[in-house]
Amino acid sequence: MLTLEEVLAVVAEEAGQADLEARFPVRSLEALRSSGLLGLVVPGEFGGMGGGYAEMVDVTLRLAREDMSVAMVFAMHCQQAATLVRHAGPALRERVLPALGRGELYLGSVTTERGKGGHLLVSESATTGDDEVLRVDRDAPIVTGGEHADAYLITALAPGATSPSQVSLVYADRAQLEVSVLGGWDPLGMRATHSVPMRLTGAVPVTQIVGEPGSFRDIVTATFGPLAHLGWAAAWLGAAAGALSRVVGHIRSPEGRKQFDTESDLLLTRLAAVRGRLEVVNALLRQTLGAVAESADLSAPPVRMLVNTLKVEAATQCFAAVDQLVEVVGLRHGYLRGSALWLERVFRDLRSASLNYANDRLRLANGVSVLLDPEVRLA
Amino acid sequence: MDSRFADMLRPFLKYAGGAEITLESSLRDLGLDSMQAIELLFAIEDTYQVSLPDELLTDTTFATAGSLWAAISGARQC
Repeated sequence: MLTLEEVLAVVAEEAGQADLEARFPVRSLEALRSSGLLGLVVPGEFGGMGGGYAEMVDVTLRLAREDMSVAMVFAMHCQQAATLVRHAGPALRERVLPALGRGELYLGSVTTERGKGGHLLVSESATTGDDEVLRVDRDAPIVTGGEHADAYLITALAPGATSPSQVSLVYADRAQLEVSVLGGWDPLGMRATHSVPMRLTGAVPVTQIVGEPGSFRDIVTATFGPLAHLGWAAAWLGAAAGALSRVVGHIRSPEGRKQFDTESDLLLTRLAAVRGRLEVVNALLRQTLGAVAESADLSAPPVRMLVNTLKVEAATQCFAAVDQLVEVVGLRHGYLRGSALWLERVFRDLRSASLNYANDRLRLANGVSVLLDPEVRLA
Repeated sequence: MDSRFADMLRPFLKYAGGAEITLESSLRDLGLDSMQAIELLFAIEDTYQVSLPDELLTDTTFATAGSLWAAISGARQC
């Protein structure tokens, strides 16, 4: 079993090349498997580590200091795993949780769909089936790490659905599916997530539907949504914290001391502003972790707004922090590939944050929630 | 559930077609969108002259026609 420190060393070593080639960090995933961390949120009775959301956040923060792509892959896997732990029926639990607990399964998420504009809660992908079997034929434009996943959680319309919101979440092993990759992945940042377009076709027993048929929305409210936002925020905060750490190390190095006047008001106020952004996101992250753990009903507008605000603010503040760091260190260390500070990679990675479930969409949802809470009850 | 209730709901339920709206009808499945929550609250206030208490504005209240009717009935008795 590798320790977290050993995993981090592998991730750090592989990150640059995976970014350059926009390929999946295969060795990092293998290291995560060997560490048991892919079973982090699976209860001990199934051989997992029995960790909660706070542990997921802490590991994601650490991974993101080395590679934000790996942190996103890890956080999203934990989101899928926790969803199975909390919502899968007895037969599916028995089938999946032991291997998941041992950390052998890497779960891919298939929730994107052409033509629905990033709406998570609706689908146009029909399924067919009977009382026993569900047939899936799913085209997804973006599947993070999809080529390397051992199994998938897939959203699709329930059979016989009469409206696009009757979405089911379905578990499928890779062996139950015909999986084809339909295109490449050559983005600005998050290059090592290798989030390719895919088509997945196959038939699974209806016992592999997670929760009640058509009830994906309840799973999103209770588990899937909050965990996505907690995990993403942790990945972004970790990436920005790592960047600040390297910049401070650089300023304090012999080379840095020649370049920077550490009594400069401009330098000091800029650094304070960057640190302040990270403090705000960290406080919001911890507050949201607590509220999600303690709230009986996560559909209440105050909690919903807090969870959405975490995502929006983490995306905005972490990117702004790294943008400011680029300004602090200047062209050579801030803008050029090959700098030991690799700010340009983090800058590119974090540019995705506002788009990764669009901030605009969450602000619209929060706007409605604001009007639903005239007392302004802060969660 | 009185007759005004189904008439009030129907504009929010774009997938209901001509089908009867019963206590068991799932509002979400029939097309109620969370982005319309404010318009629905206004419709409830205009029709029944009641405001639903803030703490009832959860998914459970808006799950079915019956659960929403129960919340409105409760608010009217206050």
